[in-house]
Amino acid sequence: MIRLHDLEFRYPEGEFELRIADFRVERGERVAVIGPSGSGKTSLLHLVAGIVEPGRGRVQVAGAEVSAMGDAARREFRIRHVGLVFQEFELLEYLDVLDNILLPYRIHPALRLDRTVRERARSLARRMGIADKLHRLAPRLSHGERQRVAVCRALIAGPELVLADEPTGSLDPANKQRVLDLLLDYVRDHDATLLAVTHDHDLLDRFGRVVDFKGLGT
Amino acid sequence: MSGPLYLAWRYALRHPAKTSILVAAIALIVFLPVGLQVLVGQSARELTARAESTPLLVGARGSALELVLSSLYLESRPPEPTDWAQVERVEATGLARAIPLHLGFQARGHPIVGTTLDYFDFRGLHVAQGRRMAVLGECVLGARAARALGLAPGGELVSSSETVFDLAGDYPLKMRVAGVLAPSHTPDDEAVFVDVKTAWVIEGLGHGHQDLAAPDAETAVLAREGSSITANASVVEYQEITPANADSFHFHGDLSAYPISAVIAVAPDAKSRALLMGRYEGENESQQVLRPVSVMDELLETVVTIQVYVVAAIAIVSAATLATAALVFLLSLRLRGREIETLVKIGGARISVAAVLASEVVVVLSLGILLAAALTLVTSRFGSAAIRALLLS
Amino acid sequence: MTRRHRQRSRIVPWLALPLALACSEPERTDAPATPSAEVPLSVWVVNYPLQYFAERIGGAHVEVTFPAPRGVDPAFWSPDGDTVAGFQSADLVLLNGAGGSAWVGRATLHADRLVDTALGFADRLIAIEAAPTHQHGPTGSHSHGGSYFTVWLDPWLALEQARAIATAFSAARPERADAFERGLAALEADLLDLDARLSRAARSFGDDPVLFSHPVYAYLTARYELRARSVHWEPGAEPDAAQWRDLERSRADPPASVMFWEATPLGATTARLTALGIESRVYSPCANVPARGDWLDVMRANAEALAAGPRPGRG
Repeated sequence: MIRLHDLEFRYPEGEFELRIADFRVERGERVAVIGPSGSGKTSLLHLVAGIVEPGRGRVQVAGAEVSAMGDAARREFRIRHVGLVFQEFELLEYLDVLDNILLPYRIHPALRLDRTVRERARSLARRMGIADKLHRLAPRLSHGERQRVAVCRALIAGPELVLADEPTGSLDPANKQRVLDLLLDYVRDHDATLLAVTHDHDLLDRFGRVVDFKGLGT
Repeated sequence: MSGPLYLAWRYALRHPAKTSILVAAIALIVFLPVGLQVLVGQSARELTARAESTPLLVGARGSALELVLSSLYLESRPPEPTDWAQVERVEATGLARAIPLHLGFQARGHPIVGTTLDYFDFRGLHVAQGRRMAVLGECVLGARAARALGLAPGGELVSSSETVFDLAGDYPLKMRVAGVLAPSHTPDDEAVFVDVKTAWVIEGLGHGHQDLAAPDAETAVLAREGSSITANASVVEYQEITPANADSFHFHGDLSAYPISAVIAVAPDAKSRALLMGRYEGENESQQVLRPVSVMDELLETVVTIQVYVVAAIAIVSAATLATAALVFLLSLRLRGREIETLVKIGGARISVAAVLASEVVVVLSLGILLAAALTLVTSRFGSAAIRALLLS
Repeated sequence: MTRRHRQRSRIVPWLALPLALACSEPERTDAPATPSAEVPLSVWVVNYPLQYFAERIGGAHVEVTFPAPRGVDPAFWSPDGDTVAGFQSADLVLLNGAGGSAWVGRATLHADRLVDTALGFADRLIAIEAAPTHQHGPTGSHSHGGSYFTVWLDPWLALEQARAIATAFSAARPERADAFERGLAALEADLLDLDARLSRAARSFGDDPVLFSHPVYAYLTARYELRARSVHWEPGAEPDAAQWRDLERSRADPPASVMFWEATPLGATTARLTALGIESRVYSPCANVPARGDWLDVMRANAEALAAGPRPGRG
């Protein structure tokens, strides 16, 4: 599903440099990436998603050569195939819960918003325990609720690959399990792949594989 | 609604203060020149149309504008009075039909217009209910006047006890509504039409009183000398013309000297018009004959000249406002940088992300234009009346 | 609109266009009705003689309406507003002129449709004597008097009225002028014949005085130079003592032997007059529609009553 090979990446303004000799994730795998802060875990997710381009090397996702795509193709690839949960959630403050979940459908002509999609959004919200807050504006949600909205938004378009940056970071233990349940169930039900960056060591046993980010470098 | 437009709409709703200020700014930028144009254009159209449909006006020498505006719009200060002899004079030329206008009185805020049946035919006014005035004391209401006064045929209306302008007479008369005109969308809709003779009764020139020769009027008689009877102050003068007392109403003195405000001279062709105008060219001529359309053109020249300066001022203000609005949008773009980044990361198409931002401008512009349209509509409804009031103040 | 203004008007911002269109109102078009020769000329009149003359002249080409109720004197009748509205709707309104129908001066009518049939002989009108004048307020004294209005009792004046009517008809319907001329000619012949009858009848009185119950016969007596004296008696009312005294006082020498009435007087009045040697006869002014016959029939009957001359066996 994912193959990073001989990868070199550097932020234009930063000293930080990321090197990955070879990293593979197979379809259906549930992979947790651990490692110290600032080690480039988020950059890894962004490289896989095609949000940033590597300085050198190849990024292949679901058989596609992401590192060879142009900007427009990467955006379309992302919206169709990748669900992203950001560390800072990145909800739109002027939208309510439902509109935030449906956001991917409003920003790319490749996705068509219809009744089925809306129903799917409601169903996801129910699973996440936020069904009663569908019309609450984002700023009026608790930290945990915002994170759950972010997870729903990542799954709404039915991605083959879910990239999650600290998906359980702000949650109480019960909600941590709940969010992880949803992600893992989704991966299982849709034969999807999960690549999650996490610091929650007590959740690691629920992943199929744990990758220590330090071991990826050359 | 398309995705970007929907997001822009939600964004606008979520920032009401900012949106309102921008919408108001855009509305003003659009409305000021457009509204002014509509106002001037419509006033010009209205003023010209009414003037064009009124070939010639005869009246006492004095302000031409006052004579034209009051004769066309029936609502302003009446011009210097002329007399009935001018109607006879125009008729005597055989060059035009003469329609008298007696202006200056009001009934509950509506102008009382004393005229003849020819006025209705000339203006193409049709009776919607009832009939035209037939006997002394009857009136016919314009459509809007009838609605405003809540009157229908058979109703009663008293002429205001005080005259609006300094006319000599003050004889409130209870008038009977004979009919209501169909709407004409002209100043005629606001008027209360009476026979010119009824207007003279209101002015105190015609009156009805007890038959002084009759026995029951004895207390009102001051002196009898042969066939001459002098009445004292107790003679009963009627405030209302009824079938019972109508026969006692009469006019004293020489009818030719009776006052009217203006004469509409309806000449059948340009030649008759020119000939008639020629009759009023003498140096000692006490009357003026006007082509309302010429007077209106002069007036509109002035309005248009003023308009040019106003438009220039508006252009400067608009440019400044537009620049401010643009600045606000730019600041908004910076404030929304994080949001744009999120949209890009999720995979928002370049065009969609641009559309989300552009839609904010579109929404604000649309609302602004909508507001400007509403303001323009209001202007078009009440604007020309306001302009006329302004011209006459 | 001036050229300069038109140019400026073109600088309409494009936004103003839909707004201006939305605000504009549809223009009204009102074509004036054209008179049709097929529809009879609608003529309203203020008394019966005018109705008679108009019908004689206009025939089938006119439709004459005389709205006063039977039995009233049209000279003193005032129509109500709705009836005046009928007059407004007429193509022509025939006025008797010469005073009478004072309501016309208070009504709202189309001035250009009024035909004053006495206008042509305004200088020959006879003024009413001793109308009361009065004064009140600052406007000075004034009188509500005028002239006698029964002009048609003089067939020559009636003929002038008829001519005025024919002229007005021809002006309104030039295409029917010939028909109107023929109607007028026939009427004229009848009026001249009536005049001849009346002239003969009047001669039968010679220098004898004639009494009239009411001063409405001024034109008759002037035309035929009758030695007339009038009282103010109503046929339907018993004269009071003062009126009888006035009659006695005013009887000329030789005394009048005939009194002409507008209508048949009360039996008691007739009897008392007969006792005084005065015969009562009717000379109807026929201002309103007669019970029998038409205006000419009534006038001819009047001529016969006049032709009977002074009371037989008198003196």
